[in-house]
Amino acid sequence: MTVGEAQRAAGTRAGALAAARRRRLRLDLGDWGVRIGSVLFVLAVWEFVAPRFNPLIIRPPTHIFRAFGELIANGELQEALGQSLREFSGGLVIALTLGILLGIASGRYRFVYNAIDPLVSALYSVPSVALVPLIAVAFKFQGDAPRIATVALFAIFPILINTQQGVRNVDRGLLEVAKAFNTSERRLWTDVIIPSAVPFLLAGVRLAIGRALIGMIVSEFLVGLVGLGYLIIVYENVFRIDRMFVPVIVVATMGIVLMGLVQWIEGRVAPWTRREQ
Amino acid sequence: MAVAERLVVERASKTFGGGELTVFADLDLAVRDQESVCVLGPSGCGKTTLLRAMHGLVGLDEGRIVVDGSVVLRPRSNVAMVFQHFGLMPWKSVTANVAYGLELAGVARQEIAERVTRYVELVGLKGFERSYPHTLSGGMQQRVGLARALAMEPDILLMDEPFGSLDAQTREILQDELLSILQITGVRGGRAPATMVFITHSIEEAIALGDRIVVLSARPARIRETISVDIPRPRTVASVIAHPRFVELRDRCWRLLRERTA
Repeated sequence: MTVGEAQRAAGTRAGALAAARRRRLRLDLGDWGVRIGSVLFVLAVWEFVAPRFNPLIIRPPTHIFRAFGELIANGELQEALGQSLREFSGGLVIALTLGILLGIASGRYRFVYNAIDPLVSALYSVPSVALVPLIAVAFKFQGDAPRIATVALFAIFPILINTQQGVRNVDRGLLEVAKAFNTSERRLWTDVIIPSAVPFLLAGVRLAIGRALIGMIVSEFLVGLVGLGYLIIVYENVFRIDRMFVPVIVVATMGIVLMGLVQWIEGRVAPWTRREQ
Repeated sequence: MAVAERLVVERASKTFGGGELTVFADLDLAVRDQESVCVLGPSGCGKTTLLRAMHGLVGLDEGRIVVDGSVVLRPRSNVAMVFQHFGLMPWKSVTANVAYGLELAGVARQEIAERVTRYVELVGLKGFERSYPHTLSGGMQQRVGLARALAMEPDILLMDEPFGSLDAQTREILQDELLSILQITGVRGGRAPATMVFITHSIEEAIALGDRIVVLSARPARIRETISVDIPRPRTVASVIAHPRFVELRDRCWRLLRERTA
């Protein structure tokens, strides 16, 4: 075996080890069996226990499933979901745009950092829910604007702070390498700063999705009663607990799907971080 | 022209912390064209700072560093550096990492592709062009770092303890390959091998790679002695260690390093 071959063999071995490490972190068939089994077990107990209680308080999963069909058949669910998705996506886009821009600017420039850090800290410390009535008044309760603004408020902080930390935590060694090869300021951003901030940013987006969903439901409760939040309140008021659960499950599904999507993107655009997760 | 001085350090001093910590003082050093100079000293004696100053990455408090007749103020494209921490970008493939310096230097696309192919093969990474650094071993990562520097076809190579973080076996393999790469004529478009400044704290490494060894004293670093390594090239690590002069040279370096700490 030549030196080159030995090196290559060692490389493949290292690659195989890394792959094995990843596989152990990824869920295999047995893991999935336990996860699905656990959910099925809870559903079965629920189904069995629910009829013994007052149907105004608890309904079995099969009834909820039937209610799903009803709300789809009369079109209520689609309409509410469409409404909620509009607010959610509008707010998230605003949070992403502002959060990334301010995060980059404050991560890079001391002046911007000093200018916005006290405000960000103050706003982040206040429970965002407490600001919803203020937003409602500010937007005069008109249309989707106050709800979109609420979603944006809930979602922006993890994005902003993570982007900022990502930009600030760039490996000093890599900055030196860039300097040693005479980088331009623009290439420094595209080669070093932005790529190293992306994993931080995506982790922030994952946190932001959960908060954006809270913002969406809370604003629908507090500002104008529309969307999935409206369905929850309305069917709670008429004690249709089976129907009330439908939008709750839809929101949970949105969260799971979107976070899974971001995690998948993380694996695609930042594969070197996968080991640490 | 083989005796022309390529890189000259003149009365260089560097302090940190507003003069509280003197890293090195009053250093004079001249590296001749095509010469390989190893700077030997214990960890933390300012070797790395000296090398960074040679590339214009840090400024001096006193004195100056002259390359090819002009004072070094910023990194220049005929000088390339290899880092102890490898300094690879995890989001770039082997190819993109090797091409990095060439892209920044504005080399034409076609030429970049040719050089990347050539130097990736030269450092023994053929077949790994599309791999990412985190899938490679430390030794292979430093091969990428070496290819990135060599691809610049530099007149001067600055090596900052490039093999310091590798295990002994990998280190020796890479030392051998560096020796043979620098001895290959035709590497730099048919020109002779590059001038090299190589920072190390390993005596064996300094003897194997250097034409001269500059032994630094403890901080504030001063040049303790300059030793000529009169072992002929072509060399390999094994042939150097087996050479009758080796033991004497090693003992001399060892004594110089010991005296200073005593």
